[in-house]
Amino acid sequence: MIKIENLEKVYKTEEIETTALNGINLHVKEGEFVSIMGPSGCGKSTLLNVMGLLDKPESGSYKFIETELLTLNDRERSNFRKRNMGFVFQNFNLIDELTVFENIELPLIYNKVPAGERKKLVNEIIGRMNIVNRSGHFPQQLSGGQQQRVAVARALVTKPKLVLADEPTGNLDSTHGNEVMELLCELNETGTTIVMVTHSSHDASFSNRIINLKDGHVISEKINKGRTEELI
Amino acid sequence: MFKLNLKIALRNLWKNRGITSINVGGLAIALAAFILVMMYATYETTFDKENPNYDNIYVVGITYPEFKTYYTAAPFAKAIKQNFLEVESVGLIKESSFELTIKNGKKTLFTGKILAADYNAAKILNIQPKGGLVQPSGDVERLTYLSDKSMKTLFPSKKDNKPEMVGFGASNSGITGTIAGSIKNNLHSNFVFDGVSIGNELGNGDNYDMNNYTICLQLKSGTDVINLEQKITDLYQAELLKSKKGKRNDEIKGISAFLDPLSNLHLRPKAGNDTPYKILIALSVLGILILVIACINFTNLSIAQATKRAKEVGIKKVMGAFRLQLTTQFLVEIFMQCFVAIILALILAELILPSFNNLFQVQLTIWDLENKLFWQLPLILLVITIIAGIYPALVLSGFKPALVLKGNFSTSKQSYWLRNGLLVFQFSIAVVFIISLFTINSQLKYMQSQDVGFKTNQVVYIKNLTLFNKPAKMGSVNFEPVREKMLKIPGIQSATVATYIPGGTNGINSYSANGVKANIDFVNVEFDYFETLNIKLKEGRFFSNTFKTDTVNSAVVNETAAAKYGMKNPIGQTITGSGIEYKIVGVIKDFKSQGFEIAVQPTIYTINDPHGDYKTQIMVKIEENRMAEALAALKSQWLQINPKDGEDFRYEFLDELYGKLFKKQEQLQSVFFAAAILTIFIAILGLFAFAKYITNGRIKEIAVRKILGANDLQIFKLINKTFFVMVLVANLISWPLAYILTKKWLETFAYRVDMPILPFTLSALITILLTIVTVTIQARKAVKANPVDALKYE
Ligand SMILES: Nc1ncnc2c1ncn2[C@@H]1O[C@H](COP(=O)(O)OP(=O)(O)O)[C@@H](O)[C@H]1O
Ligand SMILES: [Mg+2]
Repeated sequence: MIKIENLEKVYKTEEIETTALNGINLHVKEGEFVSIMGPSGCGKSTLLNVMGLLDKPESGSYKFIETELLTLNDRERSNFRKRNMGFVFQNFNLIDELTVFENIELPLIYNKVPAGERKKLVNEIIGRMNIVNRSGHFPQQLSGGQQQRVAVARALVTKPKLVLADEPTGNLDSTHGNEVMELLCELNETGTTIVMVTHSSHDASFSNRIINLKDGHVISEKINKGRTEELI
Repeated sequence: MFKLNLKIALRNLWKNRGITSINVGGLAIALAAFILVMMYATYETTFDKENPNYDNIYVVGITYPEFKTYYTAAPFAKAIKQNFLEVESVGLIKESSFELTIKNGKKTLFTGKILAADYNAAKILNIQPKGGLVQPSGDVERLTYLSDKSMKTLFPSKKDNKPEMVGFGASNSGITGTIAGSIKNNLHSNFVFDGVSIGNELGNGDNYDMNNYTICLQLKSGTDVINLEQKITDLYQAELLKSKKGKRNDEIKGISAFLDPLSNLHLRPKAGNDTPYKILIALSVLGILILVIACINFTNLSIAQATKRAKEVGIKKVMGAFRLQLTTQFLVEIFMQCFVAIILALILAELILPSFNNLFQVQLTIWDLENKLFWQLPLILLVITIIAGIYPALVLSGFKPALVLKGNFSTSKQSYWLRNGLLVFQFSIAVVFIISLFTINSQLKYMQSQDVGFKTNQVVYIKNLTLFNKPAKMGSVNFEPVREKMLKIPGIQSATVATYIPGGTNGINSYSANGVKANIDFVNVEFDYFETLNIKLKEGRFFSNTFKTDTVNSAVVNETAAAKYGMKNPIGQTITGSGIEYKIVGVIKDFKSQGFEIAVQPTIYTINDPHGDYKTQIMVKIEENRMAEALAALKSQWLQINPKDGEDFRYEFLDELYGKLFKKQEQLQSVFFAAAILTIFIAILGLFAFAKYITNGRIKEIAVRKILGANDLQIFKLINKTFFVMVLVANLISWPLAYILTKKWLETFAYRVDMPILPFTLSALITILLTIVTVTIQARKAVKANPVDALKYE
C-alpha cells in the first residue's frame, strides 16, 4: 500500500544542517503492522511525520496505493490526511477545552460527517474503548492511560486506512501501555495498517515487522514470525 | 464545526475570565471614548450639510494687509451679480449682536443675535420659517421671525402661525412692529440666530466705505473657484478705485478678495481661527490612539496564549483542518469579544454623553435614527476585529503541526520583539499623554496665578442700549448723570462706560506719532475706566474731569503703544488719529485684556473719538459684600438711572466673561486628563493580564530557581527586570515627542511657562511605579507557590 523511495529530509537551522532522513526506502503492505525502532534522534518521528503529511521531505517519492503524495498542495494534503490517516502521539495531544466525546468527534466534523452519524460512531467507539462513563469529562480529569485511549479512539473513529503512532506508550506505565497495545492489535486485526514508532521491544513484539533506523538510514529489518504467519 | 469552535472559544474565555473581562472591559472603555469622538467629529463636520446646495455655497471675504474679514460693502454684491455668469445667486446677510428687547404686554424677550438677510440670502442659506419662505413685498417690508423658544416666551398660548404685533425696546419707546412667525433655530449651522429678519434688498443706501455686510454666493456647479476668486479680486479693486477718490492706488493693490466654501466656515474659516479644527484633529488622534492601545491588549494576550493555542492548532491540522478554517475561527473569537465590547461601549457612551455635551457645548445623542453611528459601528467592529485579531488569525493558524505537537514547543522566542514592541508602544503613548497633561496643568496654573494687570472680580458689566458717545452720535446722551445716580447707590464704588469690555476684541485704527504710522487697538472710554478695572498707572495720570481738555483731545496709551511709536517720554507728546491730534496724558502698565494667548496689543484710550463704535458697555465696581443689595437697587431704579435703556436691567459679572477666554484651555485640560487616565488605565490593564501569563509561563523556572536557593526578592527582581526596561525605553522614546508637542502647544500662548521638566520625571516615576506594582502583584502568586507543587504539576 505504501511505497517510499529515497526519502531525504534535511533540517536547516542557523548553526547546523541535520540530515534527519538519508535515503529511506520502505514498503508497507495493506494490513501490515510495522514497528520502527532506533536510537533517539535517528529520524523516527521525522519519518512518521512525512508519512502523515505533516512534514515535507527534500526529495524522494511517497506513493500511497497508486497516488504520489509529495506533489500535493497543502489543501490536497489536508484532504488526503483527514480521509485516510489517524494519529496517536506520545503526549496524547487532546484539546483541553473539549470533552472526551467532543475530542473524538472532532475528526468526524472535519470530514463533514452528519451529526446523527457522528453521535453513533463516537458512542460506538467509546463503548469499544471502555471509557463510556468518561465521555463528558475533560482530558485533565483522566489518567494518562485513559487519555491515550481517547487519543486512540480519536484516531480510529474515521476508520482510516493507515494509523501512525509515535511512541504511543512512551508516557504510560506497563499496565496502561499494554492496554493501548492490545487496542492497536485489535485494530490491526480488523484490517487497518499501522506504523508505530517505539523504544520498547515488548511493544514491537506485537507487530509483523520491525524496522531499525540509524542516522536516517534503514539499517535492518526483522520479520516477526509469530505475527506474520497470522497475517498470511 | 462552528458549534465546537464556539465551545472551545467560550471555554477558553471562561477559563481566563479575569483576563477576558479586563480585555473586553478595556476595549469597551476605549470604544466608548472613540464613539464619542466619532459622534463629535460627525457633528462638527456636517454643519449646514442639510443645505441642498452645500457644495456650491461660498462666502466672500476680503484680505487686508493686516487681517482678513467677511465684512464687505453691500454694493459689491450687486457688482458680483452683474459681472459673473457663473454666480447663480448673491445674498447679503448681517448679524446684529445688539441685544434687543421685544415686548408683548408684560412679557419681555431679550434677543441675542438677529440675522438680517435679503431674500436671496435666505434662499441660499436655506432659511425656512414655519410655513415656508415668503418673499417680502417692496423695498421696506421686513419679515421678522423669532425662534420657537422666543415665541413661546412672548406668546405662550399661541398655536397658529399668524403674525403678531410686538413692541420693541422699552415700553415707553413707542416703537412697534410685526413678528411674521416662528422659525426653528438650527444650532447645527454656521448661521445661528434667535431670530431672522428678511428684506427684499438690504444695504441699498450703503457705499464702499461701509463694510457692514457679508456676501454669500451660490455658484453654478463646476465653477472654477480659483479663477473666479481672481476675477472677484479684480472687480473689487476696480470698484474701490471708482468709489474712493482719495485712496492711493498701491493701497488698493494690497487688498484682495477670497471665496470661502460653506464647508470650511465652521471648522477653519479663512478669516477666523482654526482652533475648532485643531481640537477636532487632536480629539480624533486621541480617540484612535486609545482604541489602538486597547486593541494591542488583545494582540498581546493572543501572543501570550500562543503556546497554548498552538497545540490546538496542531491537533486540528492533524485532523485535517485547513488554514483558512483556523484563521476564521480566531477571527470569530475576537469578533465575539469585540461585539460584546461595542455593546458595553454604547452603554458607557450613553452614560458619559451628558458630561461630554456639557464640556463641548454640543447636543449629541446616540439614539437618533439619522445617526451615522448605525453604519459606522459595524465598520468599527470590523476594523477592530482585524486590528486585534490579525496576529492570532495569521500567525497561530500558520503553525506547523509537526513542530507544535512535539510537546516542548514555545512561541516566546519568535514573538519576543513584537510583543515587547507593542508594550513599549502602549507605554510611549501613555507617557506622551501624561506629560501633556502635566504641561497643560502647569500652564493653566500659571494663568490662574499670574497677575493679569487688572481686576475683574468686583466689576459688573451692564448691558445697555443707550449711546454715550463723544462727540454725540444719533441720540447719544451724556454719561455723567447716569454715573452720578449710580454712585448714590451704597456699595457702588465707581462706574464707567466704554466701547469694548476687556476680554472682547477692540477696534483697530490708524494712528501716527513720533513720525511713525501704525494700526493699533483703540478703546473709547469715560472717566473712571482705569479706576473701575484697577489698571495700574506707569506715568502721567488717568483721565479726570478736573481737566477740561480730557473730553476733547487727551489720550492714555499703554506701554506697548509707547514702545511701538518709539516714544521715550510719551507724556505730552501728540498722537494723531480719527482727524484729532491727541495729547498723551498718561501711560498705563500693560494688562492682559485678551487673555494669555494674544500678546498685549498697542492700545490707545480716548474719551473723544468721532470714529468710535457705540459706547454702550457700562461697567461698575461694587464692594464685594454689598454686591447683592447694590444689584437689587440698580435693578429697581434702572428706569430712573438710565431712562433710554428702559426698565430692563441686564448684567453679567466681568470675571465670568473674562473667564471664557480660559474655557478652551480648561476644555483641553479635561480632555487630556481623560485621555491620559484612559490610556494609562488600559495599558496597565493589558500589562496586568500580560504579566499574569508571563509569570504563569515561568512557574517552572521560578520553582527550579527557588530550589536552587533564590530568595523571593531575587525572583521579584528577575520578573520585574524586563518590564522595567521596557517602560524605561518607552519613556526615552516619548520624551522627545512629548517635548516637541508640548512646546508647540505652549507656543500658542504669548505668555507661557518655561518648558517644565517636572512632567518628564513625573511621567517616568508614575509609569515605572505602576508597572512594578502591577507586575509584582502578578508575580506574588508564582513566588509564593511551593516549588515542589509547581514541578509536580508539570
Ligand atoms: N524542527 C527541527 N529542526 C531542526 N532539527 C530537527 C527538527 N526536528 C528534528 N530535528 C533533528 O532531526 C533529527 C531527527 O529527529 P527526530 O525524527 O525527532 O528523532 P527521533 O528518532 O528521536 O524521533 C534529530 O537529530 C533532531 O535533532
Ligand atoms: Mg521522536
